Amino acid sequence: MNTAILLLIVAIAAPFLALASGAIHPRLVPHVSLVATAAAAVVTIWSFWQPDSTYSTTWISVYDLNFYFTLDGLARLYALLATGIGFLVVAYASRYLPLHLHHQHRPESDQTRFYFFLLLFMAAMVGLVMAQDLILIFLFWDLTAIASFFLIGYDQQEEESRGAAMMALMVTGITAVLVLIGAMLLHREYGTWSLPEIIAHGDLVGMTKWGLLLIAIGALAKSAQVPMHFWLPRAMAAPTPVSAYLHSAAMVAAGVFLIGRFYPLMQQVDWLLDLFLFIGFASMLVGGIIALTRNVLKHILAYSTISQYGYVVFMFGMGGEYGIKGASFYVLAHAIVKSALFLTAGAVSEATGKKNLADIGGLGRKMPWLAAGSGMAASGLVALPLTIGFFKDELFFARATELGQPYILMDVLGASLTFAYIFRFWTHLFLGREITSPAPISRWLVWPVVVLGIITVVGGIWPEPFTSVASSAASISANKVADIHVHYTFDPIPENLMAIATWVCGLTIYWTRKRWWRAATGVAHLGERVGPAHWYYRGLWGLNALSDRVHDIEVRDLRSRVVSILVPAGALVAIAVLVTPNSNSFEIGAFGQHDFALIIMIVAAVVSGFVVMLLRDHLRLAIGLSCVGYSLAGVYAFMGAPNVTLVAIVVETMTSLFLIGMLVLMPSSILRFETQAKVDKRTMPRDAIIATVAGLLVFFVSWGALSRTSLNTEVIDSQTALTEAVHAKNVVTAILADFRGFDTMGEITVIAITSIGVISLLRSGRLR
Amino acid sequence: MPQTPPPTIVPHGMIKTGARVFLVPGWVLAIAILLKGYADIGDGFAAGVIAAVIVILQGIAFGAEELEHIRVARFAPVMCFIGLALAYAVAFVPTFFGYSILTHFPRMNEHAAHFGPLEFITPVLFDIAVFLVVYGFCVGAVMTVARAELRHKRLLQRARKRGGNR
Repeated sequence: MNTAILLLIVAIAAPFLALASGAIHPRLVPHVSLVATAAAAVVTIWSFWQPDSTYSTTWISVYDLNFYFTLDGLARLYALLATGIGFLVVAYASRYLPLHLHHQHRPESDQTRFYFFLLLFMAAMVGLVMAQDLILIFLFWDLTAIASFFLIGYDQQEEESRGAAMMALMVTGITAVLVLIGAMLLHREYGTWSLPEIIAHGDLVGMTKWGLLLIAIGALAKSAQVPMHFWLPRAMAAPTPVSAYLHSAAMVAAGVFLIGRFYPLMQQVDWLLDLFLFIGFASMLVGGIIALTRNVLKHILAYSTISQYGYVVFMFGMGGEYGIKGASFYVLAHAIVKSALFLTAGAVSEATGKKNLADIGGLGRKMPWLAAGSGMAASGLVALPLTIGFFKDELFFARATELGQPYILMDVLGASLTFAYIFRFWTHLFLGREITSPAPISRWLVWPVVVLGIITVVGGIWPEPFTSVASSAASISANKVADIHVHYTFDPIPENLMAIATWVCGLTIYWTRKRWWRAATGVAHLGERVGPAHWYYRGLWGLNALSDRVHDIEVRDLRSRVVSILVPAGALVAIAVLVTPNSNSFEIGAFGQHDFALIIMIVAAVVSGFVVMLLRDHLRLAIGLSCVGYSLAGVYAFMGAPNVTLVAIVVETMTSLFLIGMLVLMPSSILRFETQAKVDKRTMPRDAIIATVAGLLVFFVSWGALSRTSLNTEVIDSQTALTEAVHAKNVVTAILADFRGFDTMGEITVIAITSIGVISLLRSGRLR
Repeated sequence: MPQTPPPTIVPHGMIKTGARVFLVPGWVLAIAILLKGYADIGDGFAAGVIAAVIVILQGIAFGAEELEHIRVARFAPVMCFIGLALAYAVAFVPTFFGYSILTHFPRMNEHAAHFGPLEFITPVLFDIAVFLVVYGFCVGAVMTVARAELRHKRLLQRARKRGGNR
């Protein structure tokens, strides 16, 4: 079987299996999820021994859309992160989540939703990394945003979670639209949705550069890069497994994945690479400095992620062979170590009940396995030898050495900040005197950290399997073979000297923290006061206030609501009448003998209309209005439109029944009051003017439309001619179900939505 | 002080008889209009409203409680969403086979099997979907109003009883 399709099926089946098992019993969900993610991870690992596989089939031929998936090197790397780390996170969550729900006094059945969306996210990631059709890429991209919204807002009873979920959705959702526009621009220039075909074209034509810029903005927002980084720290309101998965290995990785996927095109645009350099370095710096000043465990790691993905973006900006190889290898190494650190933060919080670094310390003696596992991971992040992290920095430094001194300085500064905040994080947690005694925790909260720590060290001793994975990914981004070779050397080569400089500078930053602490905190506060988050909130409040204002005006009373709909509609119609050429409108046609019956029905409609004006009693009003409707149905009948007549009669009957039903529901005292209320004579002239103007407008619009003789009948003629060919003998039905079927679908959707509205309003008693 | 309950209108015996007599023929008429819609006057929309009026007539004649006993009335809201799902299926299933949205089968000028005036073509399925949505909406909405009214009556009766006990 095709490996790509096999992986896709296994990944997509996973969330639905979780959902189905939840329907049987909530306790089954973690086990089923674990097996499902294990299966997806096994298929991904097995695929490394298989050749690249492609699956393509037509989806919508008229739009040239295809289900086009390729499991290539780049897809394997990110699929491995999504499924492999996904498996460890699900294992961790199987013990963490019951405790989390227990703390919040929530039922066990809430687990199902968590696993469904976690696995849906995994499936979306797997689909995204294999998709080769631009629209498919967008669909899976958006699906990750939707799944992450529900995961970040999992604790929906907490306002912080809801706000964080909304913020993440706004930032990643709005920028996803830019990705779609970018994809459409590429399609416009190349005439295909197929990314490999566009890349094979080679040259960048027309608007391609702008399309790539929009896609890059979407990718940078997803990877939480400055200035669109502010959603990530707030998203830490999510339960720890979500933070570990989405914000170390999956969601933020999707952003740099997209850059990697489009890199064969992007690398041809110099200013785009400069933009990556600038944003990457800004993210390294901002993320690093703020991480140094944070005390909440997950916030430190969140800012660290911003900074670390800044490295990756910076490497894409530096370009060249080492830049691309380094970026791929960095993503792999970072995902392993950062997930371990997130899981450590969750385990520590679970054991101590504390989330703040100042309240925790000296846990190493009582939690040696966790200390060892996270110690290995932390060593990996600060790039100590014998860890996979050493090589990620080695490639980073190698490219900087090629480019010159400014790059060397930027690299060392970024890496030193990483060293300082991770050193602070780990030493405060596990060394020194014990501040809060930890309670015993499940081994399932520890072993995933230990496994990830061991992988970090194995990667430092035997890097070949990891470099092989990263090489095949880099080859796709570089659009040529890019083998990564790393090894230890004791020679004083620039990379080694830069690594030593990083450790020394990192330690210096840490030891001298009392000197710079106030300044760094000031920078962080300044960012909060005038930074993008501040503008996000201001924008949101502004929009909310505007919406409330409009809403208040609209719903003040029934009249203002009706006016808010009818006045703009009337104004638009009036403008349309004024600007429409009316040379052959407003004509009075000839009256014939056969028009006599028609005229009687029109007179009946007019008389009914006048009678309605004079009535006060509600029931008589409803009946009077239905008389107007039935008279108009008679008009249609004499005009030779039996279909319209039938619909008009049945709709009029239904409307009358509804009106009378509603009157029965209203308190009789109110109806009586309304009927007996005296007419305010002061407002009569005003009302008469409004009614006359509105009536005249409608009269002229109707007259103009009906007396227009030069109707373009081309469409009507062609549809009438085609009616027989589409197996119909009735052109109206053929139009409704076939020629204009899409309109009908929209209309019945509106009816169904209205149905939900009516039923929920009346059932909850809000209308009574 | 409890409100005075609205006066109960007792339907005339003729309305009751008429409602019962027209129930089955009315539905037959609605189904005929639906199925013959492609060959004659009428369509799913009109058929849906006619079927709904016939069912609602039972409620008018025998009281809102009667609607609870009629299965096609009780499941009306569900039918609305079944109809919507059917319409979406007719619209989107062809896309999985490389056709555009709402491609109908048999295609234009191809032979369509038929049984009397009933043609076995997907537009008829789409029309059935429209019928279900319209019927479900009309009956569902009226039933919801009727239930609200019943609830209101019960509340008034309870309040009156409490007032009487005092």
